[in-house]
Amino acid sequence: MIFHFLTTSNHVLFVYYLISNFVYLFLLILAFFSSAHHQRRRASTRLERLKASPLAPPIALLVPAHNEEKTIVPSVRSLLLLDYPELEVVVVNDGSTDDTLPALIRSFRLLRTDLLYVSEVPTATVRGVYMSQIEPRLLVVDKEPGGSKADAVNAALNAASSPFICVVDADAILERDALLRIMAPVLTDTRPIVAAGGIVRVVNGSRIEAGELRSVRLPRRPVEILQVIEYLRAFLIGREGWAHFNMLMIISGAFGVFRRDLVRKVGGYRANALGEDLDLVTRLHRYLREQKSDYHISFVPDPVCWTEVPSNLRSLGRQRARWQKGLLDVLWKNRDMLFRPRYGRIGFLAMPYHWIFELLAPVIELLGYSTIIIAAIVGVLSREFFLQFLLFGYAFATMISIGSVLQEEITYRRYNDWRDVAKLLLFCFLEHFPYRQLQMIWRLQGFWQFLRGDVSWGKMDRVGFEPRPARN
Amino acid sequence: MPSASNLALLLGPAGMVLGAIVASMVGICLLVAFILARRALRHRRFRQREERALAIRGSWEAIVSGKIPPERWRFHPIDREIIQSILLDALEVAAPEQAEPLRRCLRRSGLLDAVIYEARHLRGWGRNNALLALGRTRVPEAIPALAECLSDSDDVLRQDAARALGRIGMPQAGVALLEALIGEDLHIPPAPLQNALLNCCRAEPRVLIPFLRRANDRVRPVLARVLGEIATADLGDDLLLLAADPLPEVRASAARAMGRAKPKSALPALAGLASDPEWFVRLRAAVALGELNDPLGIPLLIAALCDANRFVRLRSAAALARHEEHLGEILGLVRRTGDRYAMQALISELERSGGILKLINALVDPQQREISREALLDTLRAGTQRLLLDALAHHGNWRVRLSVARLLARSDERDLAPEIERLAGASRSPREQRVMRWLLHQLRTGGAAGQRTERVPA
Repeated sequence: MIFHFLTTSNHVLFVYYLISNFVYLFLLILAFFSSAHHQRRRASTRLERLKASPLAPPIALLVPAHNEEKTIVPSVRSLLLLDYPELEVVVVNDGSTDDTLPALIRSFRLLRTDLLYVSEVPTATVRGVYMSQIEPRLLVVDKEPGGSKADAVNAALNAASSPFICVVDADAILERDALLRIMAPVLTDTRPIVAAGGIVRVVNGSRIEAGELRSVRLPRRPVEILQVIEYLRAFLIGREGWAHFNMLMIISGAFGVFRRDLVRKVGGYRANALGEDLDLVTRLHRYLREQKSDYHISFVPDPVCWTEVPSNLRSLGRQRARWQKGLLDVLWKNRDMLFRPRYGRIGFLAMPYHWIFELLAPVIELLGYSTIIIAAIVGVLSREFFLQFLLFGYAFATMISIGSVLQEEITYRRYNDWRDVAKLLLFCFLEHFPYRQLQMIWRLQGFWQFLRGDVSWGKMDRVGFEPRPARN
Repeated sequence: MPSASNLALLLGPAGMVLGAIVASMVGICLLVAFILARRALRHRRFRQREERALAIRGSWEAIVSGKIPPERWRFHPIDREIIQSILLDALEVAAPEQAEPLRRCLRRSGLLDAVIYEARHLRGWGRNNALLALGRTRVPEAIPALAECLSDSDDVLRQDAARALGRIGMPQAGVALLEALIGEDLHIPPAPLQNALLNCCRAEPRVLIPFLRRANDRVRPVLARVLGEIATADLGDDLLLLAADPLPEVRASAARAMGRAKPKSALPALAGLASDPEWFVRLRAAVALGELNDPLGIPLLIAALCDANRFVRLRSAAALARHEEHLGEILGLVRRTGDRYAMQALISELERSGGILKLINALVDPQQREISREALLDTLRAGTQRLLLDALAHHGNWRVRLSVARLLARSDERDLAPEIERLAGASRSPREQRVMRWLLHQLRTGGAAGQRTERVPA
């Protein structure tokens, strides 16, 4: 009986593993074609013309900030310097207990104003609205802590007046032309684009001055380099591929553009959502499919948002546990979309994929390790086959990672230094042990915390964007 | 020795996995080799290209003048690519007299014909590049080839052709685009189309008018939006027609055009649009009234300041703040509306734009003193004290500070007393302290008749 169970479970796991990897291989190949198509479109669009165009639709940058005194002023300065003809920056001080608001008041000569604030999407109480005497495009909303980023973004959404909104993390840095790059395809696409996500890259190790990125380098710590590869794989392969079929389920909370009217129609961000970015996109799919609207949610791979990633295992673990909780929260809340014809490919493909190959992946992986090891010990599994399978898994996953580096290399080439590319390639071979297993443990922790009702965000230690010495 | 397929059969599932391992390993090696080889090749290619470009720039005059015959470079792909690129870059920045020899070179060398041929016959990226290059030439001969591409089935090509026509920037190119749009039902997203039309029709916006009359409901808003950016005063009558259009987007564009072009009929037309049922038309009308900056528009803007839509109120406030010489009257008129939100919107805008500070400074100007005083009292009654208290404590002109003290004393705003007390405590000079104490006394005894004095002990 136990032998039968072990054999069956090993077969199931083998098939699961093959499907998961072949889906990724398929997405990798698709991503090559998609980005070639994007490059062709991109070559036709002169960004400086869009920048000078009086017809570009205004965009509001929504910047939620909670205890961001180290980064908020340079971040807002760099946002105000972005190349875009019609820009509005709405910063929300979400009940910070540090000097976030005073720093903003000092740096931008903010004046509290009696400007009417209409709470169309409910949020925690707004204490005041501030306008800058030196920068008419800046608006700061000071509010009671809402307990989530989503609540802060909703306050910014209420204050914003532009037809497009772009949510940007206060600790993120957008490249000067990022908005032009993300809007150019939105404006020139023949499909009705309702939201678009840009790529988020790892800023650790790069040189930043006055809130602007001066030179791109790989970080030094292995844990950060591994995250660079993860981000490349997730964005340049995963999101590019899913977006091709209009099945993109997530637009990163660090950088994405949405049509404001639609976000308001779906009730803004869900304030108690743990993965508010995933939740919003899922609800947009739900709403637009229920309305039978013709729409497209796209991914634009060249506008870059640089963000600081955890530089130690403890912070990283907390982040990954939170992501897992967010995924579980959203998928569980939207479980009624599964296999319902009215939700089309979202209900039949995207949602099941996220349930089976994202949410349950750490559980299945743990089960896999356990049963394979037990089977190998009791002799049900041939040890040679086990070793070969392990080697195949390793080689296949490494190939996918190298594929993402290749995708980066032939398209966007942010890492110009030979040594950086060589290091990236080297780390593609190193990420499967023990980093992958640690990820599994963190995600299982997230699972467990969610089931226990612990839905806290956890704290992430930040270094901030102080100028760092350049490396030669 | 068994063949590879026999070996795979012998090994069973293990053979399959072994095959997969080998395939993955080969994949890894190929990917890494590709990345490294590509880097090396690109490096070499760019170096060669730079060397060649340097040599070509050395003999540039001879190439342009035709002393070096075109046959010597036309059929050499790298040389042709470099010369075409330099020529087009030079054309973009050249003054009219400098551009003529460059265009002559383009025509005489056969380069223009070659690009036109490529725009008609190539496929994919090559055709895209040819279309964009044709646009950069800015010669009328390119227009027919580009117009042909507007009916292509590939939407990227259609957009490129429209962009290229836009870059040519001639009214004839605009007409080609408009004819395709009206006659052939050209499908291009509005943004690239509008940008192209903007460039083509900027010098002669009248070109748009006949097409606007013929346009259907899908196209009319697109064309009206373009006209909104480039309209001139002589198009006043046509703009009046647009202002009465059934589509609100067109009416909004008409309002925008009125603000830009400022035709004689603008004010009455904008008066109608300011009470349009659609909020964004009213918003555009408010912005246009601000651009007109005509005092006769003030009552319309004050009505818009009381609009149900907050964006309309905000834009009206911004438009009213531009009437600096009438701020006193405007504040009085807004007070009379009794609309608290309107007053808040206006005061916020005045604070932000520096209007309140101008009123404070005008307190020492004998001609404007009275109006400023009344206006500032209005702002005080609306609950805005911060800038006045700032001026009382920190203004660089002592006379202004005294005037502010007098104004606050007259205001009967007793709620200010704790703040004045704090300022008195923080005062550095005896003179400041005397003024603050006097002001405190005035505020506290303000209600008792006969105890108030206008004289500040400074």
